[in-house]
Amino acid sequence: MNPDFHYYATYCAAILAGFSHDESMALCYSDQLVDLCSATLLTKIKGPLSAATTQLQLELMDARTDMIGLQNITRIWASFHFLPYDLAAEPPKRCSKRYRSKYRLICQPNSELLERTVRLAKDKGMQAAGIAMHILADTWAHRNFAGTPSLVINNSNRYFYELFPDGDGYTEKKLTFRHSASAPDDLERSIYTSSLSVTSENSIMNLGHGRVGHLPDYCFIRYKYLPAWGGYEELVKDNPADYHNAFCQMIYAMKYLRGVNETFERGHYDTEAAAPYEQELQEILNRRQLDASADWKALGEKLSGHEIEPFDLERYQAEYMNAGEDEKDGTFLGRFIRAAMAQKSMVTTAIHQSGNKLAGYSVEYDKGRRRGIKDYRVLLRREKEERS
Amino acid sequence: MSHWQRIKSVIGSVLLLLMIPILLFMPQEQGISLVAFVLSLLLIAYGVRVTWFYFRMARHMVGGKMMLCQGILLLDIGLFSVSVITTSKVVVLGYLLAVFAFSGGIDILRALEAKRYGAPSWKLKLISGCVTIAAAAAIGIAGFCFGSPELAVYGYCVSLLYLAVVRLIAAFRKTAVIYIA
Repeated sequence: MNPDFHYYATYCAAILAGFSHDESMALCYSDQLVDLCSATLLTKIKGPLSAATTQLQLELMDARTDMIGLQNITRIWASFHFLPYDLAAEPPKRCSKRYRSKYRLICQPNSELLERTVRLAKDKGMQAAGIAMHILADTWAHRNFAGTPSLVINNSNRYFYELFPDGDGYTEKKLTFRHSASAPDDLERSIYTSSLSVTSENSIMNLGHGRVGHLPDYCFIRYKYLPAWGGYEELVKDNPADYHNAFCQMIYAMKYLRGVNETFERGHYDTEAAAPYEQELQEILNRRQLDASADWKALGEKLSGHEIEPFDLERYQAEYMNAGEDEKDGTFLGRFIRAAMAQKSMVTTAIHQSGNKLAGYSVEYDKGRRRGIKDYRVLLRREKEERS
Repeated sequence: MSHWQRIKSVIGSVLLLLMIPILLFMPQEQGISLVAFVLSLLLIAYGVRVTWFYFRMARHMVGGKMMLCQGILLLDIGLFSVSVITTSKVVVLGYLLAVFAFSGGIDILRALEAKRYGAPSWKLKLISGCVTIAAAAAIGIAGFCFGSPELAVYGYCVSLLYLAVVRLIAAFRKTAVIYIA
């Protein structure tokens, strides 16, 4: 997903969930920050590197794809961008353990891990809520892909058709991919940029939805294709419908985080809150454009009556860097970092407990033998302090 | 390219460079046989690896049977290579040239594929493929038509040097990655 949804649409959903303008700004800022909080940024602000929620292009190009490197990549992408749906899923045919491990990381909406993600963010501040909303929205956009490099899961072939609504049905147009990362996607001719075809299983080119380019990030597009893992069964991806579900589920989740809804359950969408703006929502979601930020911004400002400031990555950096060691956790970025580590730890633990080694060890699970990443021990210590 | 892929590419270049003194300074027949044997072993190992990957992983993947075909073909060529090493020097040299030309053909096919997909790397690949095939043809004509195996060996060494340099350049080139948000 792009900043248009993670920043502006999240703001709209937050206002509809009943948050104030300031709360909504903090929430959508944290949501968008998930796509920018890289090891490079954390090095700059002297934050813990294990709190990284994304990897930048250059970091990915230099990322190691040995076991340790793959585990680091998987912890980041599976925890924040491709939340696994079923960690006990069985592929339709008998397969190797290695294949099964990757198959189980395929992302889908309404997973048990999503429920745990939203519950984890309860009463943890707007930063944790923003992170949870990012993950929730991505489960809709990034469904059918896994947050780990894998040719056999994330690859696709040339069977790719864009679908255009036509009366009661759709007309099809063959969709073409090119590998020129600098060229913008050509909506008129249905030519889109994707990562290179590399037949190495763990190549970084086979991470997430790289092989189908930015198609999952566009709210307007509908297409059909054959996912590598799908056994030649055609899959139709309807982004406007998925993005609409994501928007309504965010409202429902945020009402839970505000305390309006008592529980957060899977498969619930607050369509009622969105109903008065349904026509505007459908117009935005179906308009063919690479960036819908202006449309979402206009809707958000209409809903709240306040101006939505553009995203500024440096806004809270000085506050964090100038704070003393004991005060850092209380800053905006400090709370974001802590929430990010809690989320990463929760997902890593769940993946590890399922017997899957692709995300590495979790201190929470393996504290007896003191394996795992040192930074996470802070979480355990704080948990103990909070209990006592 | 990841760090590991770059390292592999550099190691491949060094191996190609090592073959040049073997061909130039060892007795001609032994040198050619040794190079052919190493190449055959590499082909067999790669073929086994690709076939193993098919049975462990790619058989579940859409289009995965291509991996099986690729693995069997590589294995077959590798085994065939070992079987021709003990025959005459002319046959071995002819075989080395055929493998050399084949790699050029693959480069051209990859270049055409890359061009179809709009990848900027297609030009370098196409030039590399054409030069490889032209060199193989020239060496073949020199060796077999003019009856000068020495000239063919020198030509083959120049081609190996060229391949090693191309691999080194590829190892240090930037690769575009699609950013996932």
